[in-house]
Amino acid sequence: MSAAGAVIDRPGPTIGNRIFRFLDRYLLVIYTLAAVFYLMLPVLVMSMFSFNDPSGKSNVVWQGFSLNAWLHPFEVNGLQKAVTTSLGIAFLSTIIATALGTMIALALARHGFRGRAVTNLFIFLPMATPEIVLGASLLTLYVAIGVPPFFPLNFLTILIAHIMFNISYVVVTVRARLAGFPIHLEEAAMDLGANEWVTFWKVTFPLILPGVMAAALLAFSLSIDDFVITNFTGGTISQTFPMLIYAKTRIGVPPQVNVIGTIIFVTAVGLVAMSTLVSRAQAQRDQRVARRLTADEAAAA
Amino acid sequence: MGAFLRRHRGLTPYLLLAPGLLWLAVFYLGPSVQMAVSSFWSGSLEKGYVFSFANVTNYTKALTRFEPQFLRSILYGGAATILTFLIAYPLAYAIAFRGGRFRNLLLFLVIAPFFTSFLLRTLSWKIILGDVGPFLGPLKAIHLLPDDFRLLATPIAVVSGITYNFLPFMTLPIYVSLEKIDFRLIEAAQDLYANRFGAFQRVTFPLSLPGVFAGSLLTFIPAVGDYVNAELLGNPDTTMIGNVIQNQFLTQNNYPTASALSFLLMAGILIAVVVYARLLGTEELTAGGA
Amino acid sequence: MSPRDPFSAPNITRRSFLVAGSLTGVAAFIAACGTSGTANTQTPTGTPAATAGASPAATAAPTPKPTTSAELNWANWTYYMDTDPNDATKFPTLEQFKTKYGTTVNYQEVIDDNDSFLGTIQPQLQHSQDTGWDIIVMTDWMAARIIRLGWAEKMDLGNMPNVTANLQDVYKDVTWDATNDHHVPWQSGMTGLGYDKAKTGALTSLAEFYDPKYKGKVDYLTEMRDTIGLTMLKLGLDPSKATRADCDKAIAEIKKAKDAGIIRAFKGNAYADDLRTGTIVLSMAWSGDMVQALIDKPSLAFTVGSEGGMLWTDNCMIPKGAKNKYTAEVMIDFCYDPKIAAQIEAGVNYICPNKGAADVLKANNPDAANNPLIFPPADILARLHIFVGLSEDDEKYFNDQFATVSGLG
Repeated sequence: MSAAGAVIDRPGPTIGNRIFRFLDRYLLVIYTLAAVFYLMLPVLVMSMFSFNDPSGKSNVVWQGFSLNAWLHPFEVNGLQKAVTTSLGIAFLSTIIATALGTMIALALARHGFRGRAVTNLFIFLPMATPEIVLGASLLTLYVAIGVPPFFPLNFLTILIAHIMFNISYVVVTVRARLAGFPIHLEEAAMDLGANEWVTFWKVTFPLILPGVMAAALLAFSLSIDDFVITNFTGGTISQTFPMLIYAKTRIGVPPQVNVIGTIIFVTAVGLVAMSTLVSRAQAQRDQRVARRLTADEAAAA
Repeated sequence: MGAFLRRHRGLTPYLLLAPGLLWLAVFYLGPSVQMAVSSFWSGSLEKGYVFSFANVTNYTKALTRFEPQFLRSILYGGAATILTFLIAYPLAYAIAFRGGRFRNLLLFLVIAPFFTSFLLRTLSWKIILGDVGPFLGPLKAIHLLPDDFRLLATPIAVVSGITYNFLPFMTLPIYVSLEKIDFRLIEAAQDLYANRFGAFQRVTFPLSLPGVFAGSLLTFIPAVGDYVNAELLGNPDTTMIGNVIQNQFLTQNNYPTASALSFLLMAGILIAVVVYARLLGTEELTAGGA
Repeated sequence: MSPRDPFSAPNITRRSFLVAGSLTGVAAFIAACGTSGTANTQTPTGTPAATAGASPAATAAPTPKPTTSAELNWANWTYYMDTDPNDATKFPTLEQFKTKYGTTVNYQEVIDDNDSFLGTIQPQLQHSQDTGWDIIVMTDWMAARIIRLGWAEKMDLGNMPNVTANLQDVYKDVTWDATNDHHVPWQSGMTGLGYDKAKTGALTSLAEFYDPKYKGKVDYLTEMRDTIGLTMLKLGLDPSKATRADCDKAIAEIKKAKDAGIIRAFKGNAYADDLRTGTIVLSMAWSGDMVQALIDKPSLAFTVGSEGGMLWTDNCMIPKGAKNKYTAEVMIDFCYDPKIAAQIEAGVNYICPNKGAADVLKANNPDAANNPLIFPPADILARLHIFVGLSEDDEKYFNDQFATVSGLG
């Protein structure tokens, strides 16, 4: 126990308390830093091997520094197409799943209706089903249909799967934001003569936008990284980036794949940082608006 | 539209729900039903399949022949869930109560690794944990470890891989539930028990339990069904039920057995979820996942 | 016209810097394996490489009646086509084909497993629909199954003079395609011992795979026919006549090795990375992979066991209902031009089924031509076995047994 600690803290009566206090003060900080290091370590290794200079097709042993993969990131057969496919599926599934999921979240959070409990369970089910079962069962459906556009497996069959597993996550995320929603703002707008439609776009939507953005980000990251479900629903015509990585693990993952992985990581980090800043600014503005509205209401009264 | 809705206010929630639920009905329930049907098939892909409810051989076979893999999945999934809890709780606690102005940054650092492909991260672990890799190599060189010691191709590697991959699913719900706690409550408890540990034991931890439960579920479910970690980091004695399902579906093209296995896995998990939902209420489930 | 001389030295990949082996070639191959009556040690159509750079045309132009299509869809295994050394996404052979015939080849490396690939096209084949592919490449046992089910188009050999002239005789008249017109061999490979000789010394016997001194340092293959085949050979059984009883014996032997902790894992091509990193010291291995792995780690070696090794072939086929059947035939035939075959071989490193390719390579890439893993000498070829063609029921039995021993139930 350090002298400084003894001055600030009241002396604790038990050994358990002393240990806990010590852990609380010093170990937690060290622990947190160690945990962050543990979490980041594989990402660092991945990025490091994007600068490797492998002599053959394999990239598992460090052989020397090279910028080659960064200068020629798409010089791997199928890589560019796979990245494009992944991005396309991620964008489309994010937009559609976010729209569908936000609507469900609004209904669940704002309206009382028959079948709420069933709906809640139904939303939870896809999250409670292991990915392999989701993918495999969709595959059996596609194979049973056996005709285009569901077979041969293609871009559309992957997209359908991604929208499916993303909806639940969007619902959950948007709902969390709706939980503390200031309903009186909507009521105020309606009192002022706005109809539901106008109220939704002018009041409700801007207020839930940060939640919707967070949901969209989550959906995007789930989609772009999904391998298990995609591997079942993807077939051979459309190959996504994770499918390509998996295929390459059999013979050797070229450093270009690490380059793309690093770029996706940096971009995602940048996007999240940006959205955090934007939503913080927005929250501040919301607060100002709310304060002014309350003041106006008070003045009107 | 607006006028119509005003006249039929009760319809609004259903209109909002319809498109999304329809999607889930067609592409989640539909396939599940299809899978249930195929689990009663007999025959082969080449000769064609015949459906009969009397044909339960796929199920008996699934339960007897693949019993070790089922048990192993539950064991590994359970071990990984406990490990993620042990790692995640102090982390979430530290961020929630000691994060200060770095709270958002720390939270972000926890999530950030998961923006890279989990396949690439798992492959990185393979390099790090290699028999003569940067971690074991030096330890062997100074004879702290025997030459034939290994981490890869052992249950330890598989469980570690799963633990790492599902860590945020545990950390975030715990963080959310800890962050919600009114700090005045903890201060009051500290005064009451004159003891920080007591306050933690009797107030903080019980209040964070919803997060712990949500996190356990969000970790355990995907962990039980995982097969990539076992494939990349394991050996023939660490195969999980996911590996069997993957092999039966994609390599052997044996849809009936694969369907029966999937159905059993799903049913087992759903039973667990329903029991859990009874305990905590469905609202908690969907809300806790945030 | 391709701006680059496809046969000049810079275009030959670094794989050519290989330890040269004994001087053998096609002649020895045929001498060892030739089964048909026509003894031929000459290379009939293979024009010497000195005139290379000109259009690599087949001498016999295709009949003018049908025309080649604008597009051709080809599904193949990874690293099974020569690539431009400066840009791995460019395939000189396919670009030359486009220059000559105007056909853009949609070449996709999407096959990494016979069964799972067939699973992706089976429903269309069953419903007699176009699978979207004009050429697929399948290992012989799978090719046999596809032909048996009537899912392969009969090729018009009249459109394929190069194939007729250059296919080595050993590949002809297989039991499952007696008319030789439903499949054309693409590459062959050997299965044997891949090992790190710095750790193990020189190995010759398959018994090494079952030796406890390599406990936890040995990979077996996920390919059932290779792992069971090598085990049968170790037990003195003949995989080309394997029965269920033989299978049981082999499985028991594999199980013994697994239970003793000798086997570290069952791997696909990924065993090569385990050898590179030093994770393992010995693996059941494919010749072409080992040619590649040697570049990274010169202490690695490949040997066909003294008890024997496995020989397998991947074959080009045209799936039933393919849109561009004629163009597919022209494409396959184009690859059988000895110059093109030599160009592909220098990039692929498996065993070449083309008679003329060795002579072309001898002139401009002697290292490849003399590599015993690419052109195996007679004494090695004599030790190779082709796995027996299994009936559907037997195949299921073998697969089930193998899945059990490899941990998959």
